[in-house]
Amino acid sequence: MKMPAGLDIERLYDEHAQPLHAFLLNFTRDEADTRDLLQEIFVKLAREPELLAGVREERAFLIRLAHNAAIDLMRRRGVRDRMKENFATEIVSPFAPAGDPDEKFFRDELAAALGELPAEQRAVVHLKLWEELTFEEIAAALGISPNTAASRYRYGLDKLRDGLRPIYEEMKKAE
Amino acid sequence: MMNEETEQFEHRLSRQPLRQIPGEWREEILEACRVSSAERREPERFLPSTLVSRLSTIFWPHPKAWAGLAAVWILIFAVDFSMRDTTPVVTEKAAPPSPEVIVELKRQQRMLAELIGAGQAREAETPKFLPQPRSERVEILMT
Repeated sequence: MKMPAGLDIERLYDEHAQPLHAFLLNFTRDEADTRDLLQEIFVKLAREPELLAGVREERAFLIRLAHNAAIDLMRRRGVRDRMKENFATEIVSPFAPAGDPDEKFFRDELAAALGELPAEQRAVVHLKLWEELTFEEIAAALGISPNTAASRYRYGLDKLRDGLRPIYEEMKKAE
Repeated sequence: MMNEETEQFEHRLSRQPLRQIPGEWREEILEACRVSSAERREPERFLPSTLVSRLSTIFWPHPKAWAGLAAVWILIFAVDFSMRDTTPVVTEKAAPPSPEVIVELKRQQRMLAELIGAGQAREAETPKFLPQPRSERVEILMT
């Protein structure tokens, strides 16, 4: 079976699936949800290839789709699943496993500190630090103003710094 | 100084490598895309399963409310149907009138017409009530 002419879904997947996966995993903190959302996005594009017509920044457009899909999922879940989330003890880390014990500890703490942030702050922090997007690009991707994106980033980063300060200081001394 | 620290901290965070997407997802997701786009190209068929899935999408948010509404409609239709059903039965059960009954009915009709006619004639004869002085009315009552 071939995809419709004009849309190379395999190329789209190879170019964008990894960053979308990281973004969704950091946003949802759930691997199964990330898998479902990722499939939902690519299936949507396969069914409606016209969505990408005239899109200049594919990455930003796909991040927007992913963000909207993740928000829809959270709304669909409602109170029942939010309560379930509160009882969940396992933290899904968006980071690669580390061999070095100090690095592993830092990544685990960072994952936990990110998990403490509100999802919208976490999304901005993720796009700024790991996608290296500008506030204008983040604003366009998330449908917010650049000022909102900047303030969410500052609040998020301050919280991370406060949470990680002892470990960070120790690691700096060791270096 | 503060900015430098912040930059160092940001740099430290951004250097943390993100987890890789599981390799097996690629084939699974692309297969789902192929199936989905093939389905889209096929003309939509009105299958019972499609109907059921569409109905479940519509009725999913409040299934009990929809079920209750459906029960009320069924009840309304049942009552309406049963009422409509009895009317022709009554008509059918009524036997055609016998010649004796017809004769009797005609006789009664005639009697009624006569009575009405007589009543009308008497009414015509009776003088209309005319206002009279109080004393004269007492006399009439006495006689």
